[in-house]
Amino acid sequence: MTTLMDRPAAAAGHSVPKKALIERLNIFTAFGLGIVMAILFWYLARTFLPENTPGSYIKTRHDQEILLGMIGWFIGFMVGIGALIGPFRWMLGRDLSHDEHMFYAGKDQGIKRYLRYTTDHKVVGIQYLVTTMVIFGIGGILAMLIRTNLGHGGGGLIQPQTYNAIVGIHGIIMIVGTIIMITGPFGNFIMPIMIGARDMAFPRLNALSFWLLVAAIPPILSSFLLGGITTGWSAYNPLASQAPAGMDGYIMFIVIFALSTMVAGANITTTVIKMRAKGMTWNRTPIFIYGLVASVALALPAFPVFFLSQVMSAMERAMGSTFYDVRGGGSGWLYENLFWIMGHPEVYVILIPAVGALLEMAPVFTRRPLFSFNVAVMGIAGISGLSILVWAHHMYMTGWAPRLAGPFMLTTELISIPTGMLFLVLIGTLWRGRLWMTMPTASIYALLFNFMIGGITGIYLSDVPIDAALHGTMFVTAHFHYTLMGAGLTGALASLVYWFPKMTGRMFDKTLSWVSFWLVQIGFNIAFIGMFMVGLAGQPRRVEAYAAIFSRGNLITTMGAYTIMIGMLVLLYGVISSWRSGALAPMNPWFAKTLEWTVPNPVPLENFAVLPVVTSDAYGYGKAIS
Amino acid sequence: MSDMEVQKRPSVFKQKDVRQTALLTVIFTVVIGYGGALILGHVMGPSASNSMATTIFMMRAFTWASAPIAGLVAAMAVTSLLANRHSGDLPPPDAEHQIRNSPRLVALWLVVSSVLCLFAVVWGSIVLQEEDESLFTAKALNVSVTGQQWLWNFDYIDNGTVRSANLYLPVNRHVVFHVTSKDVIHSFWIVQMGIKIDANPGYVTETSVTPTRIGIYDVRCAELCGLLHANMQTKVHVVSQADYDAWIQSNGGKSS
Repeated sequence: MTTLMDRPAAAAGHSVPKKALIERLNIFTAFGLGIVMAILFWYLARTFLPENTPGSYIKTRHDQEILLGMIGWFIGFMVGIGALIGPFRWMLGRDLSHDEHMFYAGKDQGIKRYLRYTTDHKVVGIQYLVTTMVIFGIGGILAMLIRTNLGHGGGGLIQPQTYNAIVGIHGIIMIVGTIIMITGPFGNFIMPIMIGARDMAFPRLNALSFWLLVAAIPPILSSFLLGGITTGWSAYNPLASQAPAGMDGYIMFIVIFALSTMVAGANITTTVIKMRAKGMTWNRTPIFIYGLVASVALALPAFPVFFLSQVMSAMERAMGSTFYDVRGGGSGWLYENLFWIMGHPEVYVILIPAVGALLEMAPVFTRRPLFSFNVAVMGIAGISGLSILVWAHHMYMTGWAPRLAGPFMLTTELISIPTGMLFLVLIGTLWRGRLWMTMPTASIYALLFNFMIGGITGIYLSDVPIDAALHGTMFVTAHFHYTLMGAGLTGALASLVYWFPKMTGRMFDKTLSWVSFWLVQIGFNIAFIGMFMVGLAGQPRRVEAYAAIFSRGNLITTMGAYTIMIGMLVLLYGVISSWRSGALAPMNPWFAKTLEWTVPNPVPLENFAVLPVVTSDAYGYGKAIS
Repeated sequence: MSDMEVQKRPSVFKQKDVRQTALLTVIFTVVIGYGGALILGHVMGPSASNSMATTIFMMRAFTWASAPIAGLVAAMAVTSLLANRHSGDLPPPDAEHQIRNSPRLVALWLVVSSVLCLFAVVWGSIVLQEEDESLFTAKALNVSVTGQQWLWNFDYIDNGTVRSANLYLPVNRHVVFHVTSKDVIHSFWIVQMGIKIDANPGYVTETSVTPTRIGIYDVRCAELCGLLHANMQTKVHVVSQADYDAWIQSNGGKSS
């Protein structure tokens, strides 16, 4: 933003009428124009597209109408939110004036700036926080429906088609929620302040990445009305090409979300590389920043592949192509490869920033330096590097390239080494620390516990002969919930409590944070230990009904899941009540040494009056003895 | 780990928290290793094949192998938690322990985790190799498996034109399954025998097993395949060779 504002205001005199258009655009015009365009595109497609060829097994017309309608929505929404004003004005040679830039940054607009195409990274961070909570709310309700169905002895309360749709949408929406849960709110709000910058490198791309995410959500929700995503979140072909039109909602969701992630990834990476404060060498850059960059940098190669796989899936459905259809020379294995080339890096996209955030908090709450900063950096780098080489461990049992099972087993098990390094750093930091007992401190313990279970069960699954018994069972479901939820979400909730004072200016209610912590962690372990048991005993994933022998384990899991729900509702109440009327937060409530605690509450528009100069790392706790 | 610290600073082991950690490490290791192995054996039940027996044995061994690491982490975490806790709105004074690094500890940690990793990879590769080779057993019984939404069909290609929806296998005879699908991807899984392979339309994939116990076991589909995926299951009857031959003949096939 600073660089843009330094330019002379070319059209300052003419800014008043132009400002009027900017001022008029917000989330409501975006939704309005999006819906109008969706209906228009759909109507045109319905009127002018040719009928399906009679007698052919390829039926494309319905999917063409739906997909074109969603493309109409996407275009209308992005125009309606004002995403195109900046580039368009630039192309005409009348770039935005200083006042307009300040308007875009949300200066003096109060609550309205949260509903607009606002470029201030702090506004984007809050927008992401609220969106993440909404996404988790939807995914959580779906999870409760799943567990309610399965908790009833034998399952079968919900119709199979509906159940499969619920499982699919729960899966993909939770995956997206966990991908953005740290990089979105904290990567945007906290990261630039933490590295001593005034904003992101590309503030307008920052707003773009957020509004792309918002544009992606209605297509996925519309799939409820279009027959649902009945394929699970992995949407394997050829099952996906015979799924109802809800699948088109999935495809559009992924295509737009992949764009959002790529834009955000490029932006965050550039910001960290180019905009760190003077004196913040790589050795003095906080470990959370490493976690963040590793995560978004992994997304950069992963998500274009996901994008491509879904574009091809759309062509399969709407244009009769046969990339994945063996009848036309294609192969389902192609889809599986493309999907998991994204899918495995993606789990580390979720996990690494969560571990990074807890590594950042560990010195603060033990009042001693981070143990072996360099080992932590190498651990993060090692996980990132290896994670792009392990995708086919999801495909051991597909029959594709059996001779590659050995090499993929090797790369997968090698990941335990850098992962172990992160354990060493955390445990070394706790050792002989003075533990300041807060919810984030307890979260470090919860992460160690849950991630240890997730890691050891991962070693079982990485072994091909064992995977032959466990692949496709509830054991796998429990395993990845232990890593993504037990480790990932635990880190995100700790981050929420830790950075809440800086983001909202108020302290998170201490009692509520503890109550929700214990409910969520106890419920979580009950739920997923029960799921491990039924998985070992042989219950497949993604089934709406099961044999009687699994009833007890499923009932236990369901009771755990309800406990998690209560804990999450307590947390939600805590967020709302603390945000509205919590105790006002001091500038540095945790007495931490990173830069975000050196700016006042609420954080000024440009963060720093004078840009800071960094002379040491942020972990200089501990008495200078010996 | 405690041994390492002994080398580094001989007096360390006399310190209370180090001793406590060492003791807890031993206790936790035994609890995790023994408890984990016990649960695995209990829940996964008696194995019905050589593959399942190997799988359960490997899982127990991996549990024991990772137990010392998990035990050490848990012991250090618990010891730290017991030693020095503060609550309140103000932080405790800074810790006196200021170690920022310990190259020996890091090196030891890397060596130990690499050795355990290598152990898992090598052992897994050996077992994998054996299972791959068993596909080419000369005297094996060949069964063709076809998945379709939402049922399984088994063709006994060594015994003429016998087809059935339930699987019959002779005990202690190696069987090779040739698996394919008519529509979408399914996954052929015999639960108590610990084998699984996807059924792909247009391709034939293979897996093999030697059933070791007479009894009735479950075949389930392990890959979401649409509406009635949950019901896509059938039974395996493992019977004696004589009973198997009788069953084949009663279905119009010839004994192999």
